[in-house]
Amino acid sequence: MGRPDPHPGRCLPAIALIALLLFAQIAMASPDAPVAIDVGVVVASHEGPTMDPALSSIRNQLQSMFNYSSYRMVDRLNRTLSVGETGDFGLPGGRSMRVTPVPSKGNKVRLAVQVMEAERNLLTTTLGLSRGGMVIVGGPSYQKGVLILIISAE
Amino acid sequence: MDCTKTREMIQDHIDGCLPPDAAEAIRGHLGACLPCAAEEGELRRVGDMLRLWSAVQIGERERKLSPLWTRVRAGIEERREPGLARLLRRWFWVPAAAAVAVVALLFYPSDGTRAPFHPKSFDVTVESLESDTATVALVDKGEGLPRVIWIIENGKT
Repeated sequence: MGRPDPHPGRCLPAIALIALLLFAQIAMASPDAPVAIDVGVVVASHEGPTMDPALSSIRNQLQSMFNYSSYRMVDRLNRTLSVGETGDFGLPGGRSMRVTPVPSKGNKVRLAVQVMEAERNLLTTTLGLSRGGMVIVGGPSYQKGVLILIISAE
Repeated sequence: MDCTKTREMIQDHIDGCLPPDAAEAIRGHLGACLPCAAEEGELRRVGDMLRLWSAVQIGERERKLSPLWTRVRAGIEERREPGLARLLRRWFWVPAAAAVAVVALLFYPSDGTRAPFHPKSFDVTVESLESDTATVALVDKGEGLPRVIWIIENGKT
């Protein structure tokens, strides 16, 4: 027969942390869980061979898809949005992007995305991504290159 | 030394508590006096019997005490656990807290971070795509590459 632990309270912090982790996992897996939006604002151009260190992990993808020689990240925007909540992201050149998570199923997130230039609607789209997925929106001109938006949702 | 004095000191002599000269005097008297020698022999036998009886009693009591003592000793040993185990028990929450911090950092990146992108998937479904003022194209260069939505303004690429 085992001897009872003389200090049963010692295990409580560990149990609480494990419960917290499980709760966080369940909350994150829920389709209506908040969505963390991460937008990397990159200016791509032919002005010199530059690769921003923050883009090193996706360097190969960028170079496979585009033929620019310079990729410079000028801004990094993060917002955590609930389903139905709209986040406004200011972009260079008087542009802006509005992102709204919309209801989804499973581990997917659905985003309604709108890119505006002043009052002009440049793009309206609805995207379905896995959590942790990435999509790129690009094309609007900026300075001597183009804007590329690297959009991730977690 | 006479018999009275000898019998007063005889027990001390048996116990070896007498100074050498007194012990020598007693030995001298015992060698010459049969009644005192008999008394000494009796006392020695009683002493031996008492020691034997005590040993038996202790042995029996030890048998009864043994299970209790085993439990006490086990308890002492348990408390004297290795230093590493004790440290692990006491500081278990530190690695647990560190794990929580790492998870929090991974899943909730702070604003303005310059941390590299780590996409888990490029699997994207484009449900709708439209523009009032530009041409938009959906570019899909295959697996392992992200899907690209390209906005073409004023006919420029």
